[in-house]
Amino acid sequence: MMLDLQNVSFGYSRQQTTLNDVSLSVRPGVSVGLVGESGSGKTTLLRLMLGLIRPTSGSIRFGKEILDTRDSSFMQRYRRAVQPVFQDPYSSLDPRQRVIDIIGEPLRSLRVPGDRTQAVAEALDAVGLPVDALRRYPHEFSGGQRQRIAIARAIVARPQIVLADEAVSALDLSTRIRIVELFRTLAERLTLVFVSHDLGVVAALCEEMVILERGNVVESGKTRDILAAPKHPYTQRLLASIPRMPA
Amino acid sequence: MSPVETSVSTQKRRHSLALTVGLLLVGINLAVALLTLFWTPYDPLNASGGRLEAPSLLHWLGTDRLGRDLLTQLMIGARTALLVGTGAVAIGAAIGVSLGVVAAFATRLADDVMAATLDILIAFPTLLLAMLVVAASDSASLWTAILALGLAISAIVARLTRILAKRVLRQDYIVASRTSGTSWAGVVFRHVLPNIWPTLSVNFALQFGLAVIAEASLSYLGLGAPPPNASWGRLLQEAQGTVYTAPIGAIAPGIALVALVIGMNLLADGLRDIADPTRGRSR
Amino acid sequence: MTALLDIRGLTIRAGDKPLVSDLSFAIRPGERIGLIGESGSGKSMTAMAATGLLPPSISATGSIELDGRQVVGATDKVMNRLRGVAAAVVFQEPLTALDPLMKIGRQIAEPVRRRMERDGGKASKEAVNREVRDLIDKVALPQPDRIINSYPHEVSGGQRQRVAIAMALACRPKLLIADEPTTALDVTTQAEILKLLDRLVRETGMALLFISHDLPVVAQVVERVIVLKNGIAIEEGPVGSVFGKPHHDYTKTLVGAARLFDEALGTTGS
Repeated sequence: MMLDLQNVSFGYSRQQTTLNDVSLSVRPGVSVGLVGESGSGKTTLLRLMLGLIRPTSGSIRFGKEILDTRDSSFMQRYRRAVQPVFQDPYSSLDPRQRVIDIIGEPLRSLRVPGDRTQAVAEALDAVGLPVDALRRYPHEFSGGQRQRIAIARAIVARPQIVLADEAVSALDLSTRIRIVELFRTLAERLTLVFVSHDLGVVAALCEEMVILERGNVVESGKTRDILAAPKHPYTQRLLASIPRMPA
Repeated sequence: MSPVETSVSTQKRRHSLALTVGLLLVGINLAVALLTLFWTPYDPLNASGGRLEAPSLLHWLGTDRLGRDLLTQLMIGARTALLVGTGAVAIGAAIGVSLGVVAAFATRLADDVMAATLDILIAFPTLLLAMLVVAASDSASLWTAILALGLAISAIVARLTRILAKRVLRQDYIVASRTSGTSWAGVVFRHVLPNIWPTLSVNFALQFGLAVIAEASLSYLGLGAPPPNASWGRLLQEAQGTVYTAPIGAIAPGIALVALVIGMNLLADGLRDIADPTRGRSR
Repeated sequence: MTALLDIRGLTIRAGDKPLVSDLSFAIRPGERIGLIGESGSGKSMTAMAATGLLPPSISATGSIELDGRQVVGATDKVMNRLRGVAAAVVFQEPLTALDPLMKIGRQIAEPVRRRMERDGGKASKEAVNREVRDLIDKVALPQPDRIINSYPHEVSGGQRQRVAIAMALACRPKLLIADEPTTALDVTTQAEILKLLDRLVRETGMALLFISHDLPVVAQVVERVIVLKNGIAIEEGPVGSVFGKPHHDYTKTLVGAARLFDEALGTTGS
């Protein structure tokens, strides 16, 4: 078990919780899709897993340790192991920093030893961008290229888990397919947790999935099984709602 | 994409022209101010000719009521103006930016209290505030005026900083920076300040101009720097009685004042465009 | 039958930069056409041009005839009469299309009153209210009393889009232009809105110009599609043949990508 959530709840007040008693685990090498619509609590779940907020009740374990956002030495290790990719590549890259500084930030802040420029160049190569991108600014790139830069930042410190939050939703279809392809390649050497409302993308990327509705897990299991025979009425409705290509 | 993009080249040319003119105006002012530290055409304190002489080869701008060389007075005024503008903005920026950033991070309640306090301070006219501070201190000096103006500016800068910083803090790259392990201090210095700087610096230039004008007003009212610190405001006040007989006494400091204020604004505009990597290039 | 919307040789420019180049297509009464394109393809610009809503900095040349009248170069006065009567638009984000400070009932009442006065009748308060109720009923908004007295931010995104559709219907247009009307909505809500649009178009016999980047969504509601890339129409035809046997490489990429996600989902749900 790499990441284990046990009965996690979160709410800004006792009456209104955005997440109720959620339990799920992420196993090494098994990519998981967290699927839900707006108000499902999937973004809250992601923020909890990133250690940006603390659960109101329940616990999150990373290996044997409990995720404690106040324990700075643990958090440093945790952040090296768990890295995010966000939805909007226009908001997730600082417009006034060069690509080398953007991608290098985790290395610098987490004091990762080794040649930083070398590591950044390798990350750029892994996401399919030329090395001359290093000295340029985000606005010089297209949406898809910017998302590649964001992915390079996420993998530069060689994390075990990448948490992607609707990471292809803002992209055009022809770009989206290439970024999905990139995520699929990455999933061969790290564990991918992919948060999305788009069942098609999750189905193309993740072995397992967890369906969320209004802060509750309504169904979870092998993607293949859920798609073949959805048990919960909400999952059934969700699947039926997806527009399909004409035969 | 945008229709603006097509006119980028003409815009860029206009911007670089603004920068050149701004640099020139501020540069001349700075050079003159530095020069007065070592040399002035005449003794600024004593008469060097007859009263209210017209411009001549000896006195390029003529003399004032006491027979002192007007050009000398004007040159020293440039030093005063620059000192007041720079000093007031430096104090205002130091206090204002710090307060604004703290407010942007503060909890809801603390933020509300701070915002309300700043609004009250800003509602208070700058000049009135400065006059109060100067009047409250025993002796009117250049430094009290600078301090007073700096405090007034700090409220405006703090409010602007707070709004700008809050907008930046909502961006995903701030969350990405946090999950990269960067401390809050690191977030402020690496991401927040560089991103709010372009807007802030333009505001600083604006405040600089306002401070120079405010100091001139204080001096005009007799609350500014006492002699030997000649100030454009005091020159204007002294020329008031003789504006019909010797108009140059009012025109010269007026032009100097306007030139510096405009120059500072042009310079700030130009600098912002240079500093911003996203301007004037295609996406 | 003459075309309701007849676009010929339309070119739209921002300065020197062409956004749409030499575009021609026509929509006959009752026809449902989809305009497909990714960001920057010029699909929204085309819709704006068709209703005379282009910003002043953007120029259009060529010919756009809407219900027999020339739109290119038309004055605001002419366009104001055409808008609503001939064509009404539903936008992507209903929150920005609605006045945040006006109760929903009054917002729907406004185009209803305008239409009644246009038709020569007196718009009595009772008649307007009856029509508003009728429209709310038509777009299947629940709890009409609550909706009428709510402000836009007090109802959900899907409900707001229903309100926007009701307002478009209030004008009884011959052509409904829907610009990415479901892109901002959840999947389950999207399915409901698509079903609603499909039913309304069939019931009223309106023509539909449906603009979207989402191929399967377009396939749900239209008969024919036009694929735009960088402002150029690269492929056109019935949905079945364009999606079934795309000719242009770009269309092939799009259809291939859409099919890939489709196939990942398996055969359930369809």
